[in-house]
Amino acid sequence: MLKVTSLSVNYGFVNAIRNVSVHIKKGEFVALIGSNGAGKTTLLNSIMGLVPKKDGEIIFKETDISKNPPHSRISYGISLVPEGRRIFPNMTVMENVEMGGYSKKRSEVVSKMDEIFHFFPILQERRTQLAGMLSGGEQQMLAIARALISSPDLLLMDEPSMGLAPLVVKEVYEKLSMLKNMGLTIFLVEQNAMAALKYADRGYVIENGRIIMQGKSDELISDNEIKRAYLGKEYKEKWER
Amino acid sequence: MQFFYSGLTSGSIYALVAIGFNIIYNTTGLINFAQGEFVVLGGMLMYTTLTILGLPVSVAFLVTFIIMFIVGVVFEKFFLRYVKLKTETNLIAITIALAVIMRGIAMVIWGRDSLAVPPYIEDKTISVIGGSMNSQSILVIIVCFFVAIILSSFFKYTKYGKAFRACYDDQTAATICGINVNMIRMLSFAIASLLGALAGAIIAPITFVTYTDGIMAGLKGFAAAIIGGLGSFWGGLFGGFALGVIEGFFAFVLPSGFKDAFAFIILLLILFIKPTGLFGKKKAVRV
Ligand SMILES: Nc1ncnc2c1ncn2[C@@H]1O[C@H](COP(=O)(O)OP(=O)(O)O)[C@@H](O)[C@H]1O
Ligand SMILES: [Mg+2]
Repeated sequence: MLKVTSLSVNYGFVNAIRNVSVHIKKGEFVALIGSNGAGKTTLLNSIMGLVPKKDGEIIFKETDISKNPPHSRISYGISLVPEGRRIFPNMTVMENVEMGGYSKKRSEVVSKMDEIFHFFPILQERRTQLAGMLSGGEQQMLAIARALISSPDLLLMDEPSMGLAPLVVKEVYEKLSMLKNMGLTIFLVEQNAMAALKYADRGYVIENGRIIMQGKSDELISDNEIKRAYLGKEYKEKWER
Repeated sequence: MQFFYSGLTSGSIYALVAIGFNIIYNTTGLINFAQGEFVVLGGMLMYTTLTILGLPVSVAFLVTFIIMFIVGVVFEKFFLRYVKLKTETNLIAITIALAVIMRGIAMVIWGRDSLAVPPYIEDKTISVIGGSMNSQSILVIIVCFFVAIILSSFFKYTKYGKAFRACYDDQTAATICGINVNMIRMLSFAIASLLGALAGAIIAPITFVTYTDGIMAGLKGFAAAIIGGLGSFWGGLFGGFALGVIEGFFAFVLPSGFKDAFAFIILLLILFIKPTGLFGKKKAVRV
């Protein structure tokens, strides 16, 4: 479904990612893990067109979308849940979700809206509240809802666990895994490697702007190098608490 | 009471200009110093279409609006969007330069004299509680309220209006949602241009129009926007009326030469005492 080939992105003279290749098949849940500043956000943002690429290809469903303007990319069937959620704080929950369907016909948005609110009952309850008043976890749910209303084929997620309590992180991942079971393709980037690999089918590891490892999630979890670098010694106790 | 009524009329004009400032500020973070020139062009175009060409009033308005819509679009699309180094200071400096250029062009085309635009409705005096008002002044106030209601409904209820608010909140997030942020910026200039032109057109039969009018219209509208809180729609409306009425009051008790100065005394007071304006909200830093 998505095939990124030899992608490089620069900020001025700084090389943020170099020669990155990832591919995601239909129905997969793929995670890209890496520490802070590794280039995860840069990769997702360049897939979405928010930062221009220097080199490489971004093929989505057989089309090279890497030259299309950012606002047009959602209409190919990609949605991004951005880093830090970036909900519209001065708009209501419902308006936020509506904006996610900006590229769609009104009738499609209306019918999808019920489905979304059914899937996120907490948002249903708060639909007339300003989004800025929601808790972090609720804002994350809202950001996902806003991305889903356009009925994307591929959902890109940037650090859903950022700034959330472990229990809430779990709640978010449970939702994602339900979405995957409903047939959605998900590409997620995370610092929280344990959470991501627990739910994903496959994973990539990025370091200093390069992919250094890839494999099935369970292989990566049991890899000693990964354990040392990303999971920490007491990861098991921490996660299962 | 009489000062109150005359204050409402000039206040309507300040309010329309202030709302124009706010719409542009909300989508771009810029202060458009050419806002007053839009007012002049609106009045001048009404003079050309009505007085010179003798078109019917409705056609004259239509032609004026179409031209001013294009002026707004060109303003953003050709002069602001392709600036190399887009710092706010640079862009604001460009709006100042464009204001001077537009003023010059207006002088070349329409000359230095005050131009008379015929009234749109029958000119008569209507008595109101504690005074009397001219029918044209009442028209100005009604138009201002009408426009305020239409615009606020647009922002509140329509898909495109909501897209403006989304851009105000977070342009990156708006882009992700499929909103063409450049288009919204362009449209905000077009709407501001239309608002300015409307203000210029409806006030022209009362005050006439001179090519230098834009300076005061722009500064007073800016003062109104600051008083109400930069970026606040209702604040702009309120600020406009507040400024108009206070100014009217002081013109009534003081020699009228102080009238213009007063707007700026209020502006300074607000900036010293409550810099966010009366209805100002804290705004997230934009990039
Ligand atoms: N807007 C920017 N301007 C300059 N450098 C940036 C910018 N955004 C990110 N970088 C740099 O690019 C690298 C990758 O950043 P990022 O993609 O945000 O990493 P991650 O999401 O993995 O934490 C970092 O070294 C960061 O400092
Ligand atoms: Mg990041």
